[in-house]
Amino acid sequence: MPASVIGALGSAFVLLLLIWVIGNFSQDPSEFLNVFLIGLTNGAVYGLIALGYTLVYGILQLINFAHGDVFALGGLVASTMILSVFDLTTTSGAGIVIVAVAATLAVAMLFSSMLNTAIELVAYRRLRNAPRLAPLITAVGMSFILQNVGLIGWGVNFTSVPRLIPNSVAFSLGSVDFQWNKLAVLLLTFPVLLGLTYLVRATRQGKAMRATSQDPEAAAMMGVNVNRTISFTFMLAGGLAGAAGVLYLLNFTTIRYDQGFQLGLIAFTAAVLGGIGNLTGALVGALTIGLIEAFNEGLTWYTPGSDWTRSIVFSLLIAILVFRPEGLLGERTPEGQ
Amino acid sequence: MAEQSGNVVLSLEDVHTYYGSIHALKGVSLEVREGEIVTLIGANGAGKSTTLRSINGLNHPREGAIRFQGREITKDPAHAIVKSGIAQSPEGRRLFPRMSVLENLEMGAFQREDRTTFKEDVDRVFELFPRLAERRNQKAGTMSGGEQQMCAIGRALMARPKLLLLDEPSMGLAPIFVEKIFEIVREINAQGTPILLVEQNALMALDAASRGYVLETGRIALEGPAKDLRENEQVRKTYLGEG
Ligand SMILES: Nc1ncnc2c1ncn2[C@@H]1O[C@H](COP(=O)(O)OP(=O)(O)OP(=O)(O)O)[C@@H](O)[C@H]1O
Ligand SMILES: [Mg+2]
Repeated sequence: MPASVIGALGSAFVLLLLIWVIGNFSQDPSEFLNVFLIGLTNGAVYGLIALGYTLVYGILQLINFAHGDVFALGGLVASTMILSVFDLTTTSGAGIVIVAVAATLAVAMLFSSMLNTAIELVAYRRLRNAPRLAPLITAVGMSFILQNVGLIGWGVNFTSVPRLIPNSVAFSLGSVDFQWNKLAVLLLTFPVLLGLTYLVRATRQGKAMRATSQDPEAAAMMGVNVNRTISFTFMLAGGLAGAAGVLYLLNFTTIRYDQGFQLGLIAFTAAVLGGIGNLTGALVGALTIGLIEAFNEGLTWYTPGSDWTRSIVFSLLIAILVFRPEGLLGERTPEGQ
Repeated sequence: MAEQSGNVVLSLEDVHTYYGSIHALKGVSLEVREGEIVTLIGANGAGKSTTLRSINGLNHPREGAIRFQGREITKDPAHAIVKSGIAQSPEGRRLFPRMSVLENLEMGAFQREDRTTFKEDVDRVFELFPRLAERRNQKAGTMSGGEQQMCAIGRALMARPKLLLLDEPSMGLAPIFVEKIFEIVREINAQGTPILLVEQNALMALDAASRGYVLETGRIALEGPAKDLRENEQVRKTYLGEG
């Protein structure tokens, strides 16, 4: 197909989409904005996971298929903290809940970052100069191992925690209700994202990461400790996955050993959608998917409905891979990666 | 031209380096002294780049010893070797393609603790290569080969090295650029940095250097003062394309 035809089709599609969004908005503005908020919240959680895929891909050109399972184990560890260590219930006082949630977040992030670093050390480091397929298969294997660890440790059923952050309305803007649990996710996610951006763009460690991702040998020649930089990247990615695990648990109150697979796949799609290796891209991709899901499941005017959510998300992925393989925000790099 | 009697900065003793089972260096010994430009010449595949990769820690020798300023660095990791004062412009330049010229120069100074003189050093590099100053915000990967070469040398200088390794700095450059690069190599050396220079362009290299080594399939075949090598019949026939 010539580029002009694709361009015209693309424009027509975007126009239809716009009409659909505006149509839904005018049907019921306040419902639309509430759905929008749900999409934003879910997207933020996906974003935390997607950043881990993109960070690791950026530095090793490896799709770390075990990443979703690091998220799930982080969530499971958090459930143990909440249920067994702090023994929280819905009637626990707000002060205790805040302290316990903060401690849970710290423990889960620490656990997941150490787990992810250990995975790199044990499973990927030796394969760094092996053909690409070797670490990829290893990552798939690692994913199964982690799922089974979750299965053995927490069993086959969903682990439920009490709803600690209430889904009652914190405040309303017009007719849009901001619920505590959604607010908490957004309030936690965005500072993390800003911090991460700062870290990669402006700090010495971030420079080491960017240099290593572009040419590890040249980075070593500049005095960058490449092994340590890669470990740091896995640590960071793991920490974000752990935070996502806690937020997911707090928001949906249940988690199971195999949920990393699903969420991981969605987050991976988000990372590819935005342009794998690109931090902003991962976030844009994740918010896009979060919004598509929420719109599709929450709106009513000419909406396919929840049976179609996965199909829509993955059709979008395929379309992106065909027409814009570098992703929404990815750039065509001089090396052609 | 530097005096012969300066202190030894770098020495290789009977270095053997392998790529898997390929025996690339079969007992290389050489030294670089204070103030010198030493050149390493040889045919394609002789092991020139491998010698530099043995020194900079990217391919550790299996046997032999490498000493820098009296300290053994044979098995030190690459990032530690830079820190001890050896910087380089590697074969193929190896710039960070998606970083700007300025960011590449910044990476050159990555391991230095004092950041106060950074600006000064950038100015010095821009003085040596005014072209880089014009292109400071351009992505390194989009520059011409000659510009990239300048950037690679400038990046190495940013480390304030106590020894500079240059792997074919004239590769792929137009004759006028080659002249210019050698002029700058001399100037850097005159400002006090000893240089180990790997070159295909043996004529220019022997002109610039005080001493030279000729490498043949992983062994040192000849060594001596640069002007003696220039006169050497075998060198003239094989590497200078004369008579
Ligand atoms: N990564 C590698 N794997 C296997 N063999 C290698 C590798 N790099 C170099 N060699 C081999 O080691 C030998 C020395 O190579 P080296 O790159 O040091 O040569 P050189 O003198 O720098 O040549 P040139 O002038 O072409 O740059 C060659 O026979 C080469 O084939
Ligand atoms: Mg070479």
